[in-house]
Amino acid sequence: MNTTLILQQFLNGLAIGSVYAIFALGYTLVFSILRVINFAHGAIFTLGAYFTYMLLGARFGFNGVFANLALPFSLPFPLALLVGALLSGLVGVVVERLAFRPLRTRGADPLLTLVSSLGVAVALVNLIQYLVGAEIYTYPPRVLGSLPAAVNFGTSTLPVPVRTVQIIIFAVSMVIVVLLTYLINGTKIGKALQAVSEDATTASLLGIDTDRLILFTFFLSGFLGGVAGTLVGLSVSINGPYFGISYGLKGLAVIVLGGLGDIPGAVLAGFLIGLVESFVPAQYVAYKDAVAFALLFAMLLFRPQGLLGRAVVQKV
Amino acid sequence: MSVYESPMVPATETTTPLLQIRDLSVNYGGIQALQEISLVINAGEVVTLIGANGAGKSTTLRTISRLLHPRHGEIIYDNRDITKLRPDEVVRLGIAQSAEGRRMLTRLSVMDNLLLGAYTRTNRAEIQADIEQQFGRFPRLKERSKQLAGTLSGGEQQMLAIARALMSRPRLLLLDEPSLGLAPLIVREIFAIIRELHASGVTILLVEQNAQLALQNADRGYVMEAGRITINGLAADLINDDRVRKAYLGDVPPPVKLPPRAAPEEKNGLFGLR
Repeated sequence: MNTTLILQQFLNGLAIGSVYAIFALGYTLVFSILRVINFAHGAIFTLGAYFTYMLLGARFGFNGVFANLALPFSLPFPLALLVGALLSGLVGVVVERLAFRPLRTRGADPLLTLVSSLGVAVALVNLIQYLVGAEIYTYPPRVLGSLPAAVNFGTSTLPVPVRTVQIIIFAVSMVIVVLLTYLINGTKIGKALQAVSEDATTASLLGIDTDRLILFTFFLSGFLGGVAGTLVGLSVSINGPYFGISYGLKGLAVIVLGGLGDIPGAVLAGFLIGLVESFVPAQYVAYKDAVAFALLFAMLLFRPQGLLGRAVVQKV
Repeated sequence: MSVYESPMVPATETTTPLLQIRDLSVNYGGIQALQEISLVINAGEVVTLIGANGAGKSTTLRTISRLLHPRHGEIIYDNRDITKLRPDEVVRLGIAQSAEGRRMLTRLSVMDNLLLGAYTRTNRAEIQADIEQQFGRFPRLKERSKQLAGTLSGGEQQMLAIARALMSRPRLLLLDEPSLGLAPLIVREIFAIIRELHASGVTILLVEQNAQLALQNADRGYVMEAGRITINGLAADLINDDRVRKAYLGDVPPPVKLPPRAAPEEKNGLFGLR
């Protein structure tokens, strides 16, 4: 591997890692509040990619209820991304109301909630297939507008080309990480989220409406999933309704690596997995997905508390 | 069967009580934790709930704060039935609780804990003024305002728990075991604050295992045993009541020789549980 290739792979790794990070943040937000993994998150990721595809005014394929249909209008990519993510957030809200809250109010075991979310995931994936078929969808090239297809990070003699798409992915993800960090640490609602995350009973004694906050968390989580799905869809096409499942599993690896419920840890772990994956040599690329899980396995053996290893605070 | 006794309200009292609990029964963890308890708190009073571990004192506070659902009975606050409200709605109506074990948000700073105490309020200037007021009351919290609440000592955490509860500007403050696990000197400091709050007009329902201390600082008291209220009366009377002394005050002779009690009708029908 020469230097330019290393640099190129590093930049690609950063880009994909940043998507893993925001996708995993969606998991981690819900987990930190409810101590339950939302298995529907991968399906929302997939939905988000389709939402944006639709909002771009692109036409659906030959199968499914929406065959050959397209919206009568076409949004520019940034707006389509935003609206697609908002719609994904609303799906997150619906998932909470249908699959989480009814169980919570009955005091059900978290394991049942997890199974419930898995059921939602299967239902959503099948709904997608029913509506738009199982074809591969690629975002129309006009998404990039007049932007060049690639940007050279090297010199004219030693070119290090990186696809513009990767740069967009990285930039969007970073903006989201910064905004989310501000939301959580700098706003009243973020402080309330932290309070519910640490001790929901105390939070409600302070006058925090925990149900509403949980709903908001699912909205945020769905929003993040929708953005991540769109960004991956932009980078590598939407690979059918099952597109989100492998990312869903990888997202799980990311949050365990980062420490369950740990927000900075999830970002760090996302980058780590993205970078390590991008350095898998070309002839072994089929094993790329194994990398995340090998890291996960090693982590569970040697550092079960996660990368940043915040010790669990014992309540007195 | 019921040991229910009409709550003792001073004869001069003509206004409606701030809080009135009627025939409240609560099941908790498969057992009947509260059995038809009734009590009254008038505005401006400090009322204490004393009794052994597991008698139902904390359950009573948790039910008032709507963390537990009663099976039967009602809770009337300020002429309003709050029995079916959510916990946050109860806070908005003016009932704040400093829960047992202090319940710090350990990973947030002292300042953030206080700000979250004012979660239901919106006027920033007023909130800031109230924070200053709490810092005046608890100077140690001011020194540590940027520290994570989890790093505070037990006494400081208790102060923060009370200050945080006060940040919602409650009309009724529920205090659950403020002396629990604290050194005597700190306990004295906490109770000085409780007296000060009383003097400034805050209505307080105080749950304590330290019956002596609680009765010394309260206007009236209720004694709970196995989910029922068995004795109630003026704190000054309870502190000299034989049954209370025997059960909760270590059965030492009264500090002052008092003439025999003149009003036995205050305790009708409540003997015999010990």
